[in-house]
Amino acid sequence: MPSIAVVAPIVIPLVAAAVIAAFGLARINLGRIPCAVGAWGSVLALLVLWLSVRATQELNLGPLGLGTSLELRIDAVGFAFAMIVAVPAAVLLTLQPRTWQEATAAIVGMAAAIAAVESGGVVLTALAGGAAATLAVVQLDTEDVKAPRPRWSVMLAAWLALSWAGVILQDRAGTAVYAAVPVASLTGAVFTLLAAAALGASGLFPWRSWPAQMWLRPSLRAAGMTIATVYPLGFYLLVRAYEMGDGKYPQPAFSVILALLGVAVALGAAIRAQGAATRREFLGEVVPGLGGFALMAIALGTPLGLVAGILTLAAAAAMTACLALLPDRAGIATLVAIAAAVGLPPGLAFGARLLGLEAAFEAGVPIGLVGLVGAATWVVWIVAAARAIGLRAPSGHAAAETFPRVALAIAAVTVVAGPAAAAFQSGFANPAQSEVMTGSNSGSVAGGLVSVDTVSTVLPALTLFVPLLLIALLLYAFAGASLVRSQPRPALFALPGWGVGERIRELVRAARVPDQYRSLLDLRAVEAAAAGGKPVLWAAALVALGFAATR
Amino acid sequence: MPPELNADLPLLIAAAATVVLAVVLSPAQASRKALLARGGTGLAGIVGVAVAPSLDLAVLVLLALAVLHSRLPGQRDFAQRLQLPVVAVVLIVFALLFSRVQGPVVLQRFAAVGLVAGIAASVGLLPYIHVLEPDDTAVASPIVWIGFTGPVVATTVLLRARDLLTADAGGEMGAMLIGLGLINMLWGTVAAWRTASPIGAWHYSFMADWGLALCGFGLFVADGQAAALLILFSIVFGRLPLYLASRQALRANASADRPINLMVAAALAGSAPFAGFAARVLLLRGATDMYWPLALVLAAGMLLWLPVSLRLGRTLGQPRGRQALGVGIVLAINVVIGLYPLPLLALAGR
Amino acid sequence: MVSVLAGLAAWIGASVIVLADGRRALAAGLATVTVGLAGVAWRDGDGLAAVVILLGGGVAAFLRQRAGPPGWMLMPAGSTPRLILCVAGALVALWFAASITVGPEGAARFAVLCVAGLAAARILSTRAAPTIATALATLVLAMAVATHFAGDSPGMAPYLVAALLAAAVMFLPVPAASAS
Repeated sequence: MPSIAVVAPIVIPLVAAAVIAAFGLARINLGRIPCAVGAWGSVLALLVLWLSVRATQELNLGPLGLGTSLELRIDAVGFAFAMIVAVPAAVLLTLQPRTWQEATAAIVGMAAAIAAVESGGVVLTALAGGAAATLAVVQLDTEDVKAPRPRWSVMLAAWLALSWAGVILQDRAGTAVYAAVPVASLTGAVFTLLAAAALGASGLFPWRSWPAQMWLRPSLRAAGMTIATVYPLGFYLLVRAYEMGDGKYPQPAFSVILALLGVAVALGAAIRAQGAATRREFLGEVVPGLGGFALMAIALGTPLGLVAGILTLAAAAAMTACLALLPDRAGIATLVAIAAAVGLPPGLAFGARLLGLEAAFEAGVPIGLVGLVGAATWVVWIVAAARAIGLRAPSGHAAAETFPRVALAIAAVTVVAGPAAAAFQSGFANPAQSEVMTGSNSGSVAGGLVSVDTVSTVLPALTLFVPLLLIALLLYAFAGASLVRSQPRPALFALPGWGVGERIRELVRAARVPDQYRSLLDLRAVEAAAAGGKPVLWAAALVALGFAATR
Repeated sequence: MPPELNADLPLLIAAAATVVLAVVLSPAQASRKALLARGGTGLAGIVGVAVAPSLDLAVLVLLALAVLHSRLPGQRDFAQRLQLPVVAVVLIVFALLFSRVQGPVVLQRFAAVGLVAGIAASVGLLPYIHVLEPDDTAVASPIVWIGFTGPVVATTVLLRARDLLTADAGGEMGAMLIGLGLINMLWGTVAAWRTASPIGAWHYSFMADWGLALCGFGLFVADGQAAALLILFSIVFGRLPLYLASRQALRANASADRPINLMVAAALAGSAPFAGFAARVLLLRGATDMYWPLALVLAAGMLLWLPVSLRLGRTLGQPRGRQALGVGIVLAINVVIGLYPLPLLALAGR
Repeated sequence: MVSVLAGLAAWIGASVIVLADGRRALAAGLATVTVGLAGVAWRDGDGLAAVVILLGGGVAAFLRQRAGPPGWMLMPAGSTPRLILCVAGALVALWFAASITVGPEGAARFAVLCVAGLAAARILSTRAAPTIATALATLVLAMAVATHFAGDSPGMAPYLVAALLAAAVMFLPVPAASAS
């Protein structure tokens, strides 16, 4: 395979975008066909590139002028994350109708996200990831300027922070290429910047951040694309950090803090989900919940944890496509989607979560305690799911952009994929883990197509989950929908003090300076003085500068 | 080719492109001939500044340009418009005198003060802000100084003055440039956000960009200089043509939230993948190299651009026909430079 | 002695421009400055430059004498601050040229600093176009003489440009500000 082929997954959607834009400018909307061709072309290129050699392929197109080269790389990590980004994006681009402007922005955003995970170094990832974030905001505002969207400043701050981490590495280590950064250069300060960038880019906070708010938008076209393309990028950075740190983070404390944050994100989402007023609100917490578990697992710093994290992200990607296509009304599609989303056995999310919690327990104290909280969180999620079936569903999601059968199919595949968790782990997540966890923390999760071997036990995924799946199917076949209780139930609990942050924010927002107050600093007066063209002011400034220079 | 001209070359090309774009894409009712004559004169003037064999001659050309600009019909009279350029010229002349005569070391520092203040006055930055009359034509307004001639003048003066000052005074000059840069950055972003006048907001946004450019110049490392060049490029062939494109909508008090407005906002805010982001990365690199807390301050300051840029993006209205094409060209070039700044930097000899 | 006289003439000429509003006084001031600056240039060994300055300044002074507010209008009412400016400016320039800085060409340092400073102050303090043009001509001539201090000789180009500019500013029609 020629190395230039590495650009194919990025270039194919860009060509599609150019075609869409060219025809769009000529007032011809080509519809979804070029979107589908571009997106699936990218997926196909990724598959061909990786599966044909199953080894790292690199391409260096020379320096860009930013102290970094245009170095692209497809390795196991890049392939896994590119698929996590591209597949749900391709599904959404194929099915949902868009104006030519929206389609162009969406498919270019997808290309930018793939470029971010194919980038060989930190600075290039920041550039591409920043572009993906910009295009996401453009899509969201184009679709509905009043609907919730991520704060642009948070997004920009995240990618600037990553750029800064990259330039520090360039300055101190001479390179910011993931595979070449000396271990000692990934200091605590640099990692803190990188982790802050990761958390900001993916909105990984215990409170309701943008990945949850986005599902409250009336239309889920741009929201689905944004979560599909931007949300995984923060996790990608945390995975790549292992590669730069020789298989571990600079300090064990970082693992503990991030794992705690992860479980806090999942718990926060679970608490909000069990008290959700509408089904859409509940579904909005699904991806943050999965993200929290993924963060917890990835941060553990063990091979099993990393594998579990990647599997969880794969499940989240599937749910992103599924939920964006799901109609608001109740039905079998909604039922299966909820089951798949919250990790009911024997789904993929179930298998991934089981592995993640086991990894936490195997990591010992204090991270083992994180696993306990994770298990409790899971229980809350399951209760929330049971309650969500009966929640009212606000209308608003346009029928033209919903595809209940496809959503049902994706959810069903996610559930059915549970028994294949071992195979999935072996073929998809394990190579990525082996890629980044080398040196002192080398080792991989053993097993095969049937089971996952951990340090303390063996999880016979196929032989355990297939009977579970059959039992579930039989139960449903016998009982049908009659057991499904669709009347609303009260929330499981309400945490005292929950929402204080929101209320404080509202209070601060509503705060006004009393009319009686007269500021000594009148901004308008200062502006008028500065822009008034007064020679006295100029002379005073000159004296001040002279004083400063000769102090 | 002398290094000073090398450094100015991308800016001169950008300025020429902006003039061509402004002439070709101007609305039908505008007089293209007059625009071409005035733009061409301005372009000739800045080419004169850049190619002048000595700084003294460059300053004389600058004064000639100022006289020609001040006599254009506009809302402000000849005397008002000439004031700041004259202050700039005199400050630079005194700075050159101080740097060349024999005397105490402190004279070199005064020379540095004169150069920095002269540049600020020639561009129209704090504390030497031009008076902006909202009803002035774009050609007669101070935007010409801050967006068209200023980048070339500042680059020429700073690069040529580097050889005149001692290392100590050069360090002082760098510190002053960074200090003024931070003040302009903060003032520009906050004032652009808070001011009631949309044209005023545009004017302040130029100042904010200049703040970053001054910080880049003040860093005295290759990355800082490259960042300054990219920022100045994005002013001449980014902010300026976009401002010109928004003039019609500004007069009609129109605003819009279409994709093009958002892309313009992203470009003005320095988001990836536009040239501003690449400049910011280089600036962070230079600042980290020199003194990392400065990079922290700059990174925090860079977030202040967003609210302003969203506001400015909306003032573009709904460009159609030629104007939409022009905005598209500007955005495309900014994306190309943002992703691949090497050719531009190589052209400048960096 | 010639240098001192030249420096003195430059200051007197610049002071007249600061203190006067009428075209005769402005022209006389400009002519005096021209003679002073040419003298400074000649004493510093730039004979050709002195001729160019004389030509440029002479033409400018001639043109000023033909247009502008009639009469002399020297030291009209309220001129005290201007007078103080002229004296203070000269003292500061003298202090700089003779005390702070060292080496030959003290008269040139005095003349350049004094003339450029007073010309700039005049431009900033008036809105009358003829006065501004005269002060501008003075300023550019002083700028040309200032190039003498450059280590590497700038040649005749600055003098030629300055002379042309000094004459040209007298020709420029100046529009009034349009009413808003």
